Amino acid sequence: MAETTTFTNATQILEPFRGVKKVTLEEYFTSGHRTCQGCESALVMKLMVKASGPRTIVLGSTGCMYVANTTYYTTPWVVPWMHTQLGSSGSAALGTAAGLKALMRKGKMKSEPINVIAFCGDGGGADMGLGAISATLTHKEYNSLILLYDNESYANTDIQLSGMTPYGAHTTFSPPGRAKRIIHTRWKKNMAGMMAAGHPECRYVATVCASYAVEMMNKVRRALTIGGPTFIHSLDPCPKGWDYDPMLSHELGELAIETGLFPLYEVEDGVVKYYGKTRAIVEGRARKPVREYLLKQGRFAHFTEEDLEYFQKKVDETWEKWEIPAVIPFRRLDATRAALDTK
Amino acid sequence: MAAVICEVVYRGIFQKNLAARIVRGIVLSARKSGRWGIAFGRYGDSPQRNGIPAKDFAIVADTKEELEQNMARYEPKHVDVTIVVDDTLAKGVESWAWYGLQPINRLTVPNGTVLMTSVQRVDDLLRDIHKKDAPYKLSLIRAKASFSGLWVYKEDHTEVRILGALAKIAPSFLTLDGVCEAIREMEWGSDLKIESAKKAYARLETREVKITEGNAEVPYSFEMPKWWEMREGVTIPAIPVGKPKEDGKGYVPERNPYFKKYTTRSMRPVINFDTCVKCTLCWIQCPDSCFDVMPDGTYDANMEACCGCGVCEAVCPVEQCITMVNESVFEDNASQWEMWRKDKGAYQTWMTQKIGDKKATVRSHGFRFRGQYEEELKSDLDSGGVEITAGIPGENAQHKTA
Repeated sequence: MAETTTFTNATQILEPFRGVKKVTLEEYFTSGHRTCQGCESALVMKLMVKASGPRTIVLGSTGCMYVANTTYYTTPWVVPWMHTQLGSSGSAALGTAAGLKALMRKGKMKSEPINVIAFCGDGGGADMGLGAISATLTHKEYNSLILLYDNESYANTDIQLSGMTPYGAHTTFSPPGRAKRIIHTRWKKNMAGMMAAGHPECRYVATVCASYAVEMMNKVRRALTIGGPTFIHSLDPCPKGWDYDPMLSHELGELAIETGLFPLYEVEDGVVKYYGKTRAIVEGRARKPVREYLLKQGRFAHFTEEDLEYFQKKVDETWEKWEIPAVIPFRRLDATRAALDTK
Repeated sequence: MAAVICEVVYRGIFQKNLAARIVRGIVLSARKSGRWGIAFGRYGDSPQRNGIPAKDFAIVADTKEELEQNMARYEPKHVDVTIVVDDTLAKGVESWAWYGLQPINRLTVPNGTVLMTSVQRVDDLLRDIHKKDAPYKLSLIRAKASFSGLWVYKEDHTEVRILGALAKIAPSFLTLDGVCEAIREMEWGSDLKIESAKKAYARLETREVKITEGNAEVPYSFEMPKWWEMREGVTIPAIPVGKPKEDGKGYVPERNPYFKKYTTRSMRPVINFDTCVKCTLCWIQCPDSCFDVMPDGTYDANMEACCGCGVCEAVCPVEQCITMVNESVFEDNASQWEMWRKDKGAYQTWMTQKIGDKKATVRSHGFRFRGQYEEELKSDLDSGGVEITAGIPGENAQHKTA
């Protein structure tokens, strides 16, 4: 484990795993959590700390990965883990990183780079904790990674809709009725794009999906190696809230990428780089129709052809109209484009 | 007996709506029969998770006073009827709010009834159900477990068949007429459902279970930490890191000693170690880290940690290398790899028999595509409908090599 030279921003240098056979055997988040059958978020926890290694502190805001993982005086965590309040994954990450730095400076702790990862769900991160995460991403002198595991609802408390719930989905708060079919009419937030666009000194933002385990782990390793505050958004199929046979968890993750609904990319020092199946789409491979993804889930079972078309049109827009396809929803004015082109 | 207490033991989320319909149906049927009733869930089961056993309760009493007396309890300590809507729960339950394994008949009173939906033979079920120190009755409704999800319900009449059976078991509290009237009033009721309830009433199979019968195994339990052993604040000791399987090879993680997934599972993977290509996918994609790495590079699903989700079968690139098989056909939780290492021929025979039983490998664990439940229910409802074959070992098989 090499270290970068300056003390203040020293990070662990975590080289990417070159293929699945090179992945470390050790588990730092192990069996015996009380998650659902086929829980992708539990898989994200496992892969996240497998990638970061043993010298890691994990902080978790309230949500499934807190409640189901540390219930009744038991835990599956091997690395140190601490609970933090629903909206405070950002504050907890920053505070822990600052605390470690202070203890090391005062000589109360051996000086070494320790990974600090705070995870949050979509409710805790994209809704309640957005302000604190945003603040943390401006503190460039502290190394911390915030990982948003996005199962598209408040899944722990039995599926209330969040700002990340997709259009039209059936949740406890948006049951389709006879008179009104679509109750949830808002389009999902674009978290990773928002974090990347809004925080010029955050050096690394990525989107991941645990269906692509090695790539997912390598993004975590990259974020921790680069240092400073970093952000990763993970899309996690949820058998409970999305209503599907748990066996399909992996396949639905793949479909979310192949339909172009959830793009895989990283933004390192302001440069956008697509990867995996998303890169293939950017390079011209056809996207699968979103209906293949939607109709495998009970939460969209009430969709009519019209709804499916609307959904497809919205996804098409992100690819065809956005200036940086599927990443940032800006569009240049034609006049501006003309002016820039002639310059 | 002036009150009848029922518990419904079910698979979390998969059968949440089913259980809610049953207990509400009991209460409304009680009113229609001139009795009083109440239904409630068990607080400790919330928030529910797919597959983790959970309970709902329904109490019916002759008078309001008796009902109130029964309502004053946090949850019933004993029940007259234990309703079990998935027969793999016969092996016992480890719910959210419990340490160790509870026999399924633990709360059933002497001479009470365990009412179960099952297509298994009674003798097979009694191999799973733990022995009880008092006789009780085992009543069976011949049906497959009804699994669906939170939003799309599988209308296979299980709820009304349970209600019809209850009218037979506790006629002084729920009359068949009361049950039929209640079903008619429910938003999910229909004339066909009333017929189903009547058929269940007429066809209920009941058998006395003697104290000598049942699984003699002592239910899995462990020493719980004492309050004086707990640390200051709310700190919990972390799990130690694991170690190699043997001779420095392989890897077996340490696991949470206080929560095992033996009864969370309704299916389990059966592995063909001879065709395994050691691709690592089952191991890396398992959300429960249940796969131990063996010294030869194959992967053994550890039954204390496997919750039966089936992701391993879905990601395995080799056809029938991993096959999910219904939990009811297994006798123990022993290591498959050790069995294979000891005698490859015997293992092959065992494995072929397990994965060859179509009834045990057909899977219906929730929504796979729109219109699936209707397809599953095309044939007659008395046998629980036709078997669904999509993806079992299925739609994923197209990616696999033989």
